[in-house]
Amino acid sequence: MMRHFALLAVLAAAPIGVANAQDGSDQETVPISGTVAGICVLGPPSQTAVDLGQMINMSGPDAGRIAPLAAQEVTLPDSFCNFAGTHISVSADALLADDSTTVQPGFARAVNFTSTVTNWATGDATVTTAATAGGAMPTAEASGGTQPLPRIADLELTLNNFTVPSNLRLVAGAYAGSVTITLGPAAAPEGN
Amino acid sequence: MNMFKLVPTALLLAASASAASAQSSDTAGPLPITGNVPALCSVGTLSGNGTFPLGVLIDTSTGLLRGDLSAPPQVLSAAFCTAQSTITVSATPLQSVNATGTPPGGFSRTVNYTATASGWTATAASFTTGAATNPAATQSRTTAFQGDISVAVGAFSTGGGNALRLVADPAYAGNVTVTLAATN
Repeated sequence: MMRHFALLAVLAAAPIGVANAQDGSDQETVPISGTVAGICVLGPPSQTAVDLGQMINMSGPDAGRIAPLAAQEVTLPDSFCNFAGTHISVSADALLADDSTTVQPGFARAVNFTSTVTNWATGDATVTTAATAGGAMPTAEASGGTQPLPRIADLELTLNNFTVPSNLRLVAGAYAGSVTITLGPAAAPEGN
Repeated sequence: MNMFKLVPTALLLAASASAASAQSSDTAGPLPITGNVPALCSVGTLSGNGTFPLGVLIDTSTGLLRGDLSAPPQVLSAAFCTAQSTITVSATPLQSVNATGTPPGGFSRTVNYTATASGWTATAASFTTGAATNPAATQSRTTAFQGDISVAVGAFSTGGGNALRLVADPAYAGNVTVTLAATN
């Protein structure tokens, strides 16, 4: 008897469920979400170091003073930011002689230059170092204009306008400087 | 059911705001820039005509070397070295140009002197012709430098002794050489 009762109960319930599904519809929305981080990526520089070679006139009335040095070009291909409101910042350190002893009158141990990064926004990022003859204050920084859209571009870094304070003679030795390029938000996010 | 849906929506909004503030930047560099300046020295420009005009060398009443010989210094203007350096002075004695044979007894055809180069180092470089050694001929300085070098001649003496007379010759000639050399 108990076995028959159970079977009847199941049979009785089944038609009720079917009847509900046929009477209306139901739906459930499952949200699918994701995020895309705002990123900026600089392409690999076309050269990882710039060697200006020998920098002075070896004879003539300007012997010992800086020679005309050709502009140097470095490309950072396929640089991009996937969000708007970005800019280029460039920081440069003047070339300084490895000999840090006090320079004698008439001599300098610093070579200044201009760094310009183009092809990102209206208003290139350009900065010129202004180290003293003795090598003080070698660092200079500047930012370019703001790019209002996400952008992919080949950035062009140009190094030129190599000069020595007061066109003094340069002390002998190895010279080293650097340039750092940063691509990122033009303004820090709120709360940071 | 609605409450269940509202909760994750709020979480998603919060997550979205967080992603927006996580804008990242990228940096290339420091890109090294190098160059070099070789050691370079120049003795500058010689002022005047570059000669020491001593005139008549002897006392015409005695035939002996004059004791008052002198000539203005010559100046090497705007000499420089871009590194530490040495200055060296060397000289050849005044000798008769035409009378080149061995002088007879009691005579000489040589006038010795001391040449000095000052202004480059604390101690002037000096060279005495006829001397066995000239330890002060080369002087060093440890820094790059630019300036004028004054070259002078003096302390004249007759080769073989001042008791000797000089053979007649319309031209006695010697020379002084100043050398700047970088030492690194």
